Amino acid sequence: MNNFEYREINNGDGRRLNREAEEEEEDDEEDDEGNGRGLDAWERAYADDRSWEALQEDESGLLRPIDNKTLYHAQYRRRLRSLSSSSTGSRIQKGLIRYLYIVVDLSRAAAEMDFKPSRMVVVAKQIEAFIREFFDQNPLSQIGLVTIKDGVAQCLTDLGGSPESHVKALMGKLECSGDSSLQNALDLVHDYLCQIPSYGHREVLFLYSALSTCDPGDIMETIQKCKKSKIRCSVIGLSAEIFICKYLCQETGGSYSIALDESHLKDLVLEHAPPPPAIAEFAIANLIKMGFPQRAAEGVISICSCHKEAKVGGGYTCPRCKARVCELPTECRICGLTLVSSPHLARSFHHLFPITPFDDVSPSTLSKNPHHKLPKNCFGCQQSLRDPGNKPCPCVVCPKCKQHFCLDCDIYIHESLHNCPGCESFSQSKSVSGTMEE
Amino acid sequence: MPQVKIIAKNFMDMVASLPAMKLDKLYDNAFICEAILRSLPPLAKKYVLQMLYIDVPVSAKSMQEWVLADGFSKHNVAIDRLIQLRLFTEAVDRKKETTYRLNPTFQINLQKHIIHGGVLPREPMPSNITVRLPSLEDLDAYAAEQWECFLLHLISSSTQGEKTTNFSSSLMKIFQRGLLSQRDKEPPKLTESGFQFLLMDTNAQLWYIIREYITNSEERGLDSADLISFMLELSFHVTGEAYNMNTLTDSQRNVIKDLADLGLVKLQQGRKESWFIPTKLATNLSISLSDTASRKLGFVVVETNFRVYAYSTSKLHCEILRLFSRVEYQLPNLIVAAITKENLYNAFENGIMAEQIISFLQQNAHPRVAERVPSVPENVTDQIRLWESDMNRVEITPAHFYDEFPTREVFDAACDFAREYGGLLWEDSKTMRLVVKAEILMHMRDFLRREKQ
Amino acid sequence: MTPVTQKLYTDDVSLLMVLLDTNPFFWSTSKSTSLSFSNFISHVLAFLNSVLLLNQFNQVVVIATGFNTCDYVYDSSSSPTNQRAETLLRKFEEFVVKDEQLSKEDSVDGIGNSLLSGSLSMALCYIQRVFRSGSLHPQPRILCLHGSPDGPGQYVAVMNAIFSAQRSMVPIDSCVLGVQHSAFLQQASYITGGVYLKPQQLDGLFQYLSTVFGTDLHSRRFLQLPKPVGVDFRASCFCHKNTIDMGYICSVCLSIFCKHHKKCSTCGSVFGQAQTNAPSTSNQKRKTADT
Repeated sequence: MNNFEYREINNGDGRRLNREAEEEEEDDEEDDEGNGRGLDAWERAYADDRSWEALQEDESGLLRPIDNKTLYHAQYRRRLRSLSSSSTGSRIQKGLIRYLYIVVDLSRAAAEMDFKPSRMVVVAKQIEAFIREFFDQNPLSQIGLVTIKDGVAQCLTDLGGSPESHVKALMGKLECSGDSSLQNALDLVHDYLCQIPSYGHREVLFLYSALSTCDPGDIMETIQKCKKSKIRCSVIGLSAEIFICKYLCQETGGSYSIALDESHLKDLVLEHAPPPPAIAEFAIANLIKMGFPQRAAEGVISICSCHKEAKVGGGYTCPRCKARVCELPTECRICGLTLVSSPHLARSFHHLFPITPFDDVSPSTLSKNPHHKLPKNCFGCQQSLRDPGNKPCPCVVCPKCKQHFCLDCDIYIHESLHNCPGCESFSQSKSVSGTMEE
Repeated sequence: MPQVKIIAKNFMDMVASLPAMKLDKLYDNAFICEAILRSLPPLAKKYVLQMLYIDVPVSAKSMQEWVLADGFSKHNVAIDRLIQLRLFTEAVDRKKETTYRLNPTFQINLQKHIIHGGVLPREPMPSNITVRLPSLEDLDAYAAEQWECFLLHLISSSTQGEKTTNFSSSLMKIFQRGLLSQRDKEPPKLTESGFQFLLMDTNAQLWYIIREYITNSEERGLDSADLISFMLELSFHVTGEAYNMNTLTDSQRNVIKDLADLGLVKLQQGRKESWFIPTKLATNLSISLSDTASRKLGFVVVETNFRVYAYSTSKLHCEILRLFSRVEYQLPNLIVAAITKENLYNAFENGIMAEQIISFLQQNAHPRVAERVPSVPENVTDQIRLWESDMNRVEITPAHFYDEFPTREVFDAACDFAREYGGLLWEDSKTMRLVVKAEILMHMRDFLRREKQ
Repeated sequence: MTPVTQKLYTDDVSLLMVLLDTNPFFWSTSKSTSLSFSNFISHVLAFLNSVLLLNQFNQVVVIATGFNTCDYVYDSSSSPTNQRAETLLRKFEEFVVKDEQLSKEDSVDGIGNSLLSGSLSMALCYIQRVFRSGSLHPQPRILCLHGSPDGPGQYVAVMNAIFSAQRSMVPIDSCVLGVQHSAFLQQASYITGGVYLKPQQLDGLFQYLSTVFGTDLHSRRFLQLPKPVGVDFRASCFCHKNTIDMGYICSVCLSIFCKHHKKCSTCGSVFGQAQTNAPSTSNQKRKTADT
């Protein structure tokens, strides 16, 4: 196992050196050894027909394949920094209780084959991924699906919190025909979203394939109506920019973007998964009283208050009146307390206490500053931070606990774990997090 | 590769088939206990661990309570295995309930292991005596070379003289038995199982040879149980360390020379002492005990145009590829071949099955294509299967044709008779013609003669 | 130890990350447990040996969860098979000494809590590295041998780690050695599909460990394992770090408070019931307050 990783590091490093046009031979040699991830362009599966986009020119004018790993990491760092810079200064205020309608355009244009196999299929695939990601990041939020077909908007699923039911409903309805109507969809969604509680954030996300809209009335009025109801409308277009969409997004505070290809579409769709900070101003802040029921032991028999029948195992107990309910989240039938499962809430806490981006430790700064001693292994995963030549590899350091991490851990920690293992494993950090929360 | 016939006899089956006395003696050796424990199905391992500190018999009923409803088949397999290997002794207690208890020797050995942790079978020699030990890479290369040399020797006994092995020709004959067939004065030909043997992975091949070696050990005056325990012990040595030959018994010293020929160990001579260095083949011995799907770094890339690129310097690989493809050219480290209809037909005639070829290509896929799904292009695998079914499209049955029956009654009676014997292939009542299988010709003849009278 | 070119893995090959609670205040208080620390370690050592015995590709990594720090203590893939116990104990001692030195600075009252969130995070990082190592890897699981009470201050961090484990399908098993149930570990095991157990008799710890926690993920599909005796889903409030079963949730950021506040300390939203033009004013208020 260790050997494998050595090679990988080796490979990446070799390439970096190569960019500086220092040791070309070493690179070639190591490419032969590489274990599949650092494939040469001609060895990769023939995936897309834009292979020229994977090339770049180096200083001496030679064509080089883009180094994916370093590039990926650099991209990720940029994203991280932009996120953190937007949130520093002011405290994070995000709308975590969201009510989102996804409007899928299933007009004739969705059958176009410029996305393979067709726009419709690609959109459905991305929505599926989005729905799962959305519920992961936004507990207590709800999604509804609306389709536009033959100039009519139709509600596919009502607002709900179960990803499976949405995905199933969408996959069963993948046919397209007729024209598209932005106004009809807006009207429909507007009616639904007016009924939600005041603290919820109203959002609509259009996945728009058509280049026109075929409306029964004045769409400008509808847009103003949505603006008044504080519905944030965003559009992701699949063909070209249209004025009316742009206007809609501008007016309602949403974002408008056009997907270039499938991976770009994926990025654009997933951008809507984390709660947008701006929409906090749209809803009225409120303190909601909630209970965190305990789960009863397996095999215990009791009468549940929702179905009024005896049930074995599972079930939750309301902390206020001790009545038993079957599922969460719900409202207690007896005392009316809103019952949620606390892990459900906790899923979103990393938005509130994001970990600071780690600082780069480049080999050049190390060589300039010999006093700065680099540890042998990554603090998180114990992977060696030296390449086989005992030269230090690129790594990052946490500004708080001063522990070093490898690039892979850096990404994992910020994208999935949301904990700095270094800060968490020193008791001093308790006081640090305390000040953050005061 | 479960479909390969000659591997059907598992090594552990062989151990299990040893007489009870010998089997019990085997468990005196702690390493065998360990190796055998590791070869068990996961659930059986679990049971052993669970029973490790229980000294009284446990009833079968209470053991069943550990299992969920859908795990009963697994449970039975596990229990059967444990009883077969005499790890569990079955007994019926006063209440007429079946009870099991762990083999006491086995139990004590494992308990020791758990308290003391892993120990090595023998201390490696200090490095100041053993200078110039081969590096691990060198050792791997050595092992691979030895093994290949042995295999080449095995399949082509005619090309002798390249590098002779220590094995006596009689022993070699034993290995070749079943793999090669020799008609008088003709050069020996690979049999069906011989081809299948070549397509197996190294570990399976190795075990086949070792198994043959062990089963025939009695003839050479060696105790098979001793041999098994020595082999298993060997697998717990550390690869690349040197071990003194003096620690071995005389018979073991003889055995180890044979093993050196197989590439299991490398023998080296110092100024005063001699030592052996186990290679990876040896330390992997106990691994292949379990019926696991084994993987190693492959070398074959198959393209959609039926081209096969094999990154290998090995002659053996070339020979294997030749079994089912046309080798077009050979570079120092690359063999380029094409899978053609003719070659495949040839292979099918030799008794190789399409699935075997496909699984060979898949298991030896080059790491760069191995991660892809499927690792061998679908059109190639489909075509190989189609070609195989081509071979089976026409089935030839030797038959006899009857015609000009005197009366319809005789014809009908003959038809009924043939049908009764299951030999009727075709009948046409209009023209009164009949085709029957060749096997029933004699009965048919008797019957017709009787009818005539 | 594991050959690189020949990786052979069956369903039951496991990577076991063991998180050992070494909180000195917990182990020195005789009231909190009936087991002495040295007995505990010998049980665990025997258990580790038995896991490594079952399959030659099984891998065990031990992380010590201290009072002031966490560290890797043992990794079977980088240590020789013999002298397993010696290596582990030596590293362990070094760790305990280091942990003690760090703790001299501040005195604690009560048992205090050990840094579960830290060791969980480290274990998950290690598991990610194993996932990265290729398509063939042992099946990872985490076993927490924990005695100290939960530290409500770690609530958010522990939950983050649990969700990350859930996302990468890593079960967290927990064996509680203290007197009280641990709400953190109950939730961890429930959410990730692991086993939660509080042994009745700690003298037989090895038998509990080998019977329940030694079961590989493959065999778990066929065996009866302890069922959860209820899960404590209580949360910690952000204001006083109390464990509460009822509280107030900020509708903007979902922060949990045990009392009604006028303003959310996390996101700065001002709460009110009857504010018709609330959004703009509350926003302005927040801005002026910040600047």
